[in-house]
Amino acid sequence: MRSFSTYHPFILFIYYVFVLSITMFMMHPVILFLSLVGSLIFYMMLTSVRTLWKEIRFYLFVFILMAVTNPLFVHKGETILFFLNDNPVTYEAVVYGVFISMMLIAVVFWSKAYSYLMTSDKFVYLFGKTIPKLSLVISMALKFIPSFKQQIKKVHNTQKTLGIYTSESITDRIISGIRTFNSMISWSLENAIEQGDAMKAKGYGLKGRTNFSIFTWNHRDMFVFIIIVIVFIIIMFVNGLGGYSFTYYPVLSNWRITGNDIVKYILVMLLVFLPSLIELKENLQWKYAKSRI
Amino acid sequence: MKKQWINYFILLLLVPASIWFGVTMFEDRKYVFISFIIVILTLIPLILTFEKKESSIRYMVIIAVMTALSVVGRFLFAAIPGFKPVTAIVLLTAIYFGAEAGFLVGALTALISNIYFGQGPWTPFQMFAWGMIGLLAGLPWVRQMLQKNKFLLILAGLFAGVLFSLLMDVWTVLSVDGFFNVKRYITVVGLSLPFMITYAVSNVIFLLLTIKPIGEKLERIKKKYGI
Repeated sequence: MRSFSTYHPFILFIYYVFVLSITMFMMHPVILFLSLVGSLIFYMMLTSVRTLWKEIRFYLFVFILMAVTNPLFVHKGETILFFLNDNPVTYEAVVYGVFISMMLIAVVFWSKAYSYLMTSDKFVYLFGKTIPKLSLVISMALKFIPSFKQQIKKVHNTQKTLGIYTSESITDRIISGIRTFNSMISWSLENAIEQGDAMKAKGYGLKGRTNFSIFTWNHRDMFVFIIIVIVFIIIMFVNGLGGYSFTYYPVLSNWRITGNDIVKYILVMLLVFLPSLIELKENLQWKYAKSRI
Repeated sequence: MKKQWINYFILLLLVPASIWFGVTMFEDRKYVFISFIIVILTLIPLILTFEKKESSIRYMVIIAVMTALSVVGRFLFAAIPGFKPVTAIVLLTAIYFGAEAGFLVGALTALISNIYFGQGPWTPFQMFAWGMIGLLAGLPWVRQMLQKNKFLLILAGLFAGVLFSLLMDVWTVLSVDGFFNVKRYITVVGLSLPFMITYAVSNVIFLLLTIKPIGEKLERIKKKYGI
């Protein structure tokens, strides 16, 4: 199920900006951990447990590599574990390595999830109002790409059938590619300019023309919008007051979570688990509705 | 007048404001935040200039075609690993269609190819790096020199390939350390060196072999359709 993707593109965009901002610009370990868990759960809901497992194995390797190598680059920190080539390896640097790799992996998985949600049509729609000319260029380019790929294949196959550039040598392959490109360029430019002329003839850019879009802003978009904006503003406000500050060097800040902190982390949890909760709710609703048939 | 006003507003007010905001809000991560915001704020006036200007639909179509070509450039040479003429196509566009077209094709190539290869916070940085390569190569006197002088063209191809890689590595280091860690930067550059070299060399080969035939074609198109 992908119910979060049915929300308005603007919601998807602003949610992504918010969640990436708190992940990338705030270094509190609890935030990084929550964001990582949120991104993994959401990615799993969009794909499957198996896909997540397959991809996480590679990132687990990155994770360990980062944690182990960070002390080699950073020698700050007071708790020296041992010396390597006369350079101190510190406990703080290892901890920093662990959490910074959490951040990187969280960012990667949020982005992966995002590319499932933000299809190119939504993308073009989102920027179509503010930068109409550029998004027209983008949507034209998006349309050209598959047809160019097809044409490249055709030209390439023709070359092969003619028996030219068939050897496996690297010069042959380069020359073949360049010849293909050479033939592509006039073909594509001439075709495209004709398309442009046709667009002009049909009145592109004249006053009073509207464009159709499938996306509408309704109550639930408004509801989610208000929630995420308020939560994000409160988080930023608390951060401005120093509520989420955490230092790694030279000594780690206090780890202990007291009663007052819980509220701060619940706010973050609300933000990072929101899409997963929406998915969960829709799934349960669907199951319930099915069971009543 | 209006568009210039926006540009000045961004430069004079928003840039210092975002630096202040970054320093006060995000202690350890201030450089990441500030670099991020400044890259985006640099892209905005350039994009707005194109938006506000009167330009023919033919010109827009050409930008779309060149962008699409540089995105599929990776498929052209799929048989040769690491041979990606993306920067070369951006340079070609800049040389024949000018700074603005170079910038747009560079920035849009990053944006669109990431739809296929994965969007993320690195997208604005890639847009910036490629866009700037296109912009610089398209400056009037740079264009002329690159068209005439093969040696300079080789240099530009090498330089652009290396510059892109070096710029992106700065961002990698910043996002990991929160400041510019020279030691890590050297390691990262060292690790990416083989890719950087293949990349730069493939750009040069591509430029040298295409500048004449493609140049003639682009000139012909420009004459035929009056762009």
